[in-house]
Amino acid sequence: MTIKGEKKFSYAVLVLPAVLIYLVVVAFPTIFSIMLSLTDYNGGKIFGADNLHFVGFRSYEWMLFNDPSKAFYTALRNNMYIVAVSVFGQIPLGFILAYILTRKLIKRGGGFFQTMIFLPNVISPVIIGVLFKNFVYNRDSVYMEIVRFFDPSAEFTLNNTPMIPVLVVILWMFTGFYMIIFLANMQRIDPSIIEAARIDGASESRVLWHIILPAMTNVIVTSSILAISGSLRTFDLIYVMTSGGPAGQTRVLSIYMYEQAFQGSANYPMANAISTVMVLISIALIIITRAVGNIFNDKEV
Amino acid sequence: MKRSIKSLISIMLVLVLALSLAGCGNAGSSNVIELRVLNYFSIANPGALEEVERVWDAFEAAHPNIKLIREDEFEEPFHFATEAHAAAGTLPDVIYCWPSGRSSALHTNRLLKDLAPLVARDNFGANFNSTVLNPDAMGGGYLAMIPNGVTATHAFYVNLEVLESVGLEPAKTYSELVAQVPILREAGYETILMANEATWVMQSCLMSAIAGRFAGEGWEKAIHAGTAKFTDPDFVAAIEFIERMYVDGVLDRSTVAVDYGSSPGLFATNRAAYMIDGDWRVGDFITDAATGQVLIDPVRQEKILITVFPEIDLPGVKYNANNSVVLGTGWGLNANLEDGSDKLEAAWTLLKWLVGKEVLTFRVDSGGLPVPSRTDIDLASLDLEPMQVAVANLGQHYNRSNVVIDAAFDGQVYTPLNDGLQALGLGTITPMEVAQNVQNQFEAWKAAQ
Repeated sequence: MTIKGEKKFSYAVLVLPAVLIYLVVVAFPTIFSIMLSLTDYNGGKIFGADNLHFVGFRSYEWMLFNDPSKAFYTALRNNMYIVAVSVFGQIPLGFILAYILTRKLIKRGGGFFQTMIFLPNVISPVIIGVLFKNFVYNRDSVYMEIVRFFDPSAEFTLNNTPMIPVLVVILWMFTGFYMIIFLANMQRIDPSIIEAARIDGASESRVLWHIILPAMTNVIVTSSILAISGSLRTFDLIYVMTSGGPAGQTRVLSIYMYEQAFQGSANYPMANAISTVMVLISIALIIITRAVGNIFNDKEV
Repeated sequence: MKRSIKSLISIMLVLVLALSLAGCGNAGSSNVIELRVLNYFSIANPGALEEVERVWDAFEAAHPNIKLIREDEFEEPFHFATEAHAAAGTLPDVIYCWPSGRSSALHTNRLLKDLAPLVARDNFGANFNSTVLNPDAMGGGYLAMIPNGVTATHAFYVNLEVLESVGLEPAKTYSELVAQVPILREAGYETILMANEATWVMQSCLMSAIAGRFAGEGWEKAIHAGTAKFTDPDFVAAIEFIERMYVDGVLDRSTVAVDYGSSPGLFATNRAAYMIDGDWRVGDFITDAATGQVLIDPVRQEKILITVFPEIDLPGVKYNANNSVVLGTGWGLNANLEDGSDKLEAAWTLLKWLVGKEVLTFRVDSGGLPVPSRTDIDLASLDLEPMQVAVANLGQHYNRSNVVIDAAFDGQVYTPLNDGLQALGLGTITPMEVAQNVQNQFEAWKAAQ
């Protein structure tokens, strides 16, 4: 074997296991899921089944255009709320908190402050869901006990915006995660640059705007991608807190997909159609985020 | 010499191999039949700890020629396992299943064997309630399983302890119930407790019974046949009644935020005078035989009545004293078991044992089965706790049975109905809008079939 041949062979030997694992674990299930969304499969044997037919985009048409309840759009709207809270809530807050800690704007207790903000990240979302359900989301909640202390006649009521408590919890839960990411990256900025700017008379806001923020552009983009994909996948916390209710008003795409697949008589094509659309939305949002990030990067240059 | 040793060794090896194969042959002809069983087994269920010994070990001891390989699953993993087996074509020989709903795929794809010939051959139906062996009540329209029992999805639990504490008696009519609301509220009690957060409870445990009272018998058949609609005045009146329950304070609006797991604890701690749930909830209140723990002790259980919703004394009601009843879970056989084969006979023997008098008596006794499908179980001879007796006698409180909505319609239809009933509690929708949404969903579902 020639050296070139040997190189090709060793390359193939090294790469093949990873490619095979990728094909089996990622590519095949994805393609299979998309194919299943185009069939009328309703359980039972898949391969060699007599009653399995390709029906085109029937599930997609139903979900997007024909479903009278517009359940998909309700779920999508809720997911977009979560994306908005993540991108425009968790990330800016995480950034601000990291900035405060890095620049030592609070003199004492920085470590404690940092730990407390990050703490929700090390607790299971299921536990947090149960915790907040008992704290705020029912008539016997701690919140209601406090309210009744001041007004004994107060009654627990649900309004038209049951997503708000969920969004508050999501904001509280994940802000610490982004704070840590920003903190780690801010600490990599050479302190001498900031010191030089300060000596030259730059104010704190100018340091933030002209040194720290530009250095964080890529981190913000990466964080946004993480936030978007995480927001679209969110399931456990909401399922524990509200089960998607009341009246489906806190249902998100993943819960809608779960209900289609595993509650009542299963509708697997619909569940797979929802998951395919989730992936497409995720890709679209990530492309937009990267494009916006590139604009800022270009400006920086 | 060397050659002869080689020959000797070769002959010995051949002999050893031949003997081994002969041994294998003997083992295969020993008539031990292996049966794979998919069992629903939750350690939290009443009598779970005893089940292995009383049901499974006892069967194997009585049938040494049958070896059971049991796969125990519960809740969602059970359904995942069933679907995975069905998809892979590896369904076990004996399968725990529902008459429709979550096991629809097994029925509609005819993955379960038609048991009618075996039942007829052994006259096995003689000791069963005639309704439980009705093929039309099963998802595939054939006798795919034998249910353990009959389930009433509506039961009206009355807490006499609470009522007596405020000088009240159980409400006999809806008007009486409404009149009790302010008195109970003043004393810090809720009127009716329901765990309405889940996406199925309202339509299954309340609306199914109420729809029967307003829309009459066979209303679901008329809708399926296209001669009636969800938007017809009768069905809308039933939805309006649910809205009225919220408005009258009989059903607190906050019940839509009560999760299904928490209602037994709330009822046991006297938070409400009444509770609406399925008959299966009794199992959560009685003494656990293994641990001795109990949510409502037998003395307090004497103060719990189990009946049906009070008479609705409003215009438009066709009848009262009804209930929503559906076949319970039970056992089916893999459709691939060959007719006349030893394996089929072994599986049928096991199935007969699982729905036999001894096992069902054990399940009733341990609180896992409120109402058995067999007619030859003498409940009076069992040492049942008061709530078990009360639920076993639930049938005495109604004289008409109506369909359970989630057994009669697809999830595409009953989930929007349940959402609508919850939304009525939020005040974000009108009864007519709920009915129209459900009708639209039903028409769309029907068109897709």
